[in-house]
Formats: sequence, structure tokens, C-alpha cells
Amino acid sequence: MSGIDSPALSAYAALAAAGLVAGLASGRVEAVALAAPFALAVLAGALLGRDPRLTGTLTLDRERAVEGDTVTATVELTAAAGADRLEVVLPLPEELGAEDGAALALSLGPGRTRTLELPLRCDRWGAPRVGPLLFRAGDVLALRSWYGEIGEPRLLRVYPSEETLRSLVPPLETQVFSGNQVSRARGEGIEFADLREWHRGDRLRRVNWRASARRGALWVNEQHPERNTDVVLFIDTFAEVRGRGSGTHERAVRAAATLAHRYLLHKDRVGLVGFGGFLSWLVPASGMRQLYAIVDTLLESDIVQSYAQRRVDFLPPRTLPPKALVVALTPFLDDRVATALLDLRARGYDLVVVEVSPLELLEPARDSLDALAARLWRLSREALRWRYEQAGVPVVTWRDDMPLAAPLEEVTAFRRLARPA
Amino acid sequence: MGGALLLLALVRGGARTLGWALALAGAAYVGALAARRHGLDGTAPLVATALLLCGELARWSIDLRVRIRGAELPARKRAAAVAALALAGLAASGIAVGVAAAPTGHGLGWTLLGAIAAVGATGVGAWLARRPV
Repeated sequence: MSGIDSPALSAYAALAAAGLVAGLASGRVEAVALAAPFALAVLAGALLGRDPRLTGTLTLDRERAVEGDTVTATVELTAAAGADRLEVVLPLPEELGAEDGAALALSLGPGRTRTLELPLRCDRWGAPRVGPLLFRAGDVLALRSWYGEIGEPRLLRVYPSEETLRSLVPPLETQVFSGNQVSRARGEGIEFADLREWHRGDRLRRVNWRASARRGALWVNEQHPERNTDVVLFIDTFAEVRGRGSGTHERAVRAAATLAHRYLLHKDRVGLVGFGGFLSWLVPASGMRQLYAIVDTLLESDIVQSYAQRRVDFLPPRTLPPKALVVALTPFLDDRVATALLDLRARGYDLVVVEVSPLELLEPARDSLDALAARLWRLSREALRWRYEQAGVPVVTWRDDMPLAAPLEEVTAFRRLARPA
Repeated sequence: MGGALLLLALVRGGARTLGWALALAGAAYVGALAARRHGLDGTAPLVATALLLCGELARWSIDLRVRIRGAELPARKRAAAVAALALAGLAASGIAVGVAAAPTGHGLGWTLLGAIAAVGATGVGAWLARRPV
């Protein structure tokens, strides 16, 4: 804790000294009379100012929250020597906001303890650190002040809010474990697939008696079994576009959290790849623990500018299991992601690309040169989209004003109309 | 010029500019008295208090530019402190003018009193400068 004199205290001292010297030099007592109140003010500042010996703690009412929640920061302050004027402010990271501001002014008597509650609004997902609390304590005339910090930084995990989805993108291939996805294979299940002749070992309950009566031999039902699938969420962290308080990376993280949660509820295994300047990955697994692992990894993901070449070879083989559904969330800003995704498609992965559109975040073109550059850029994005579609990859655009469910429905429609390679 | 500097200090929010504004105003007052070879001016304590109030209220207005929730209670305390300081300053100025106006003679006693006052003022200044922060 350090004490600082206000510039006014030095100014008053200088005025008092100048008045005394001027009085001595000019022989006029009026100069001394002018100096007297300022000398008194300096004396008052020196006598009233005292180190408040402030101590305290900073706590949060919880460690995890969701976007839109309100978290209460509780500050307990004790001034052993008292503070006539105490101003406290809690510096807020960009993920948090405060309705009435995070600053407060109060008085604290000697030995008194005061508890303050500051409601904080979780505006954006992330893993911000809240604290320490900054304070300025001073005498009643604000001629001397003491500055310092109270409390330790507290980690708060703000999870992304989820989009509403009516259905998920069904995979082309399923895995061998049971789940909620209807497999294309034939076996025991609920969805009817086909009829075939009875073979030794078939259960009697599978016999289709009506077909058997018509054909004069035993025919059995075949169903599509319910299997799970492996889903890998592939997030482009090379670059983003930000504007109007939002960004493409924020929306991509919200979409990834939503998809991870929904697929895990369907007993699927979900993995994560953060492909960018900083590579991160999670091997596919199932259960709520995997959901928390995925969301915690997403919270710490950030756009890191890098010129290094990145390929899917750099990822551990278990990160991308065979026949996995890869859902890529990318704003189409970096060619390295396009190269990696087309590489995945060439290796036979079931790939879906969701373009997180940055066009709505851009400022309008200022002149004809800007407009021409914007048009060329849009054409290059169209060309990239065409490359994906030629490879049989469904590419859907997710604009800022539409729910995530809309582009995912387009994927289903694309697959119905086009036969994947 | 003092008034212009005061306006500038209020606009820019600078305490140092405020000090110069007060210094210029005070110097203009004393200079006018000296130029007119005026006798002892009995309104000097009022001028001194007015200058102090000017400085304190200007500082307060600059501090209030950052609005903070709950600043009402400390504001009432500060208002009382400024008023008390102004009254004390008026009394101190009045004593200085009153002592100067009182008929006095010459002699060792008055010289000693003046020397003690000068040493005392210097000692207080030294103590203020050397106190720990």
C-alpha cells in the first residue's frame, strides 16, 4: 500500500511559501494573509492523512456460470485505522459487465468491517480472472491518498450458451457400440430394413408371419441397429473477424459447445480439434466428463496468429478415428484450414463444413476500390465453396441472424440430393 | 489571466494549472495593493478565504467527474471539512491582519517573536517534507 500526495498539496505548499516570501519582500502583510489559509490546508492534509491499513477478501458466489447469468462478487473490507474516503473498483475483464458499474465509494470507521456485493453479468463465455480489487483511500479533503489491491484473483468459468437444435447431422457411418443413431447395417434394432429368408439361428420372434404365409416359407424381418458414432468438432483458430462486440470465433465456440452436448446426449463419442496457431485436441470419448473437458478446452481456445504450416498429420491418430463424422466450423479466412479439410475428405472422413459467415461483421465499402476488393474476396470464398462441393463435402453458411438449426437442416437436404463419394 | 487559467484547469482537470491560477490571482491582488500604495487592506482575509474556497471547490468538481456509486456520504463529510477549513483559514488570515494592524513598538520581544514564528514555520515545512508516506 503506498501513499501519494495530491498535486494540490504541493501547489498549496508552494502558494503558502510564495505568500510568505512575497510578504517579506514587499513588506505587505496582505501577502502573508493570503498564504495563511493555504498553509493551514497543508497542515490539515498532513495531520488528517493516515494509512488506513486496509485489509479484505474477494470471493465469488460460484466458480462456473453460463452466458447471461449473474455472479455476485463479495468483498469484505476492514480498515484498522479507518478511511474517511474509500473508493474501490473491481477491474472487469471483457467477458463480464456490471449494471451499476463495478466502482463504489464509502466511508469506513476505524476497526469497522463492511461487506460489499457487486453483481457481475456474464456477457461472454471465457475463463476470466476476477480481481484483485483496487482501492484508493484518503483523508476527507482528498489531499493525501493511499492506493493498493485487495484480495486474490478468482477464476470464473463462463460457459457458452447453447443454441436450440431440433435435430443433428446424421453420420454416414456408425461405430460398433450401441447408441441412438440408426445404422445402415442390418441386424437387431427398431427401424425396419428388409425381409430375407429364414436361416438357422434366427429367432422365432423375428419371423414375419404374413410374408411367410404368402410365400410358403419362413421369412424374417431385418432391422437397422442403433449404434453410436464418433464425432470430431474441428474448429478453425487461425483467424477471426470481429465487429459490433461479436466475432466469428465466439459463434463457433457456442456452436461447438451445443453440438458436443447434443451428440454426447445421444451416447455418441465426441472429440475436439482446435486447428490454428496453437493446436489443441481431445480424443473422442463419451459422458458428461467429456462434455466438461470439451467446454473447458473451448473456453481456453483463442485466436493465435501464426505463419507455421499446419497439417492433420500433426494430430495424434486417435484424435480422428476411422469413419468419424467431422464437423468443421470455419470462417473461410485461412487457406491452411481448407487444405487440411480437403485432406481429411481425401482420407475418407465424413466431413461437414459449417461456414461461420463473417460478412455481416464487415464495415460497408467506403469507395469503389473497397467495393471491388470485397467483391473479389467474396468470389474467392465462392470458389473455395465450389472446391468443397466438388469433393462431395456439404458446405453450409451460418449467418449471424439465423439459428444454428437452419444450416444443419441444409446438410441433411444436401445429403438427400447428392450421393456422397 | 488568473480567471482564464482557472477555466483552463476546470476544462482540462489539472491540479497544477489550478495552483498557477490561484497564484496569479493572489499576485494580482497584492500587486494592485502595492501599486496603489494602499494602506492595510482589511478585506485580505476574505480574499484569502475566497481563493482557498475557489481552489477546494475546483478540485472537488474535478474529482466528481468520475461518477461512483455511493459517493453521497463521503461528499457530505468533505463539504463539512471544506467549510471548516475555510473558517479556520479566515481566522488565521484575520489574526495575521489583526496583529499587523495592532500598534506595536520595536524591541527585542517582537524580534524574538518574529524569529520564533519564522523558525516554527520553517520547522513545520521541514517536518511536512520529511514525513514518511
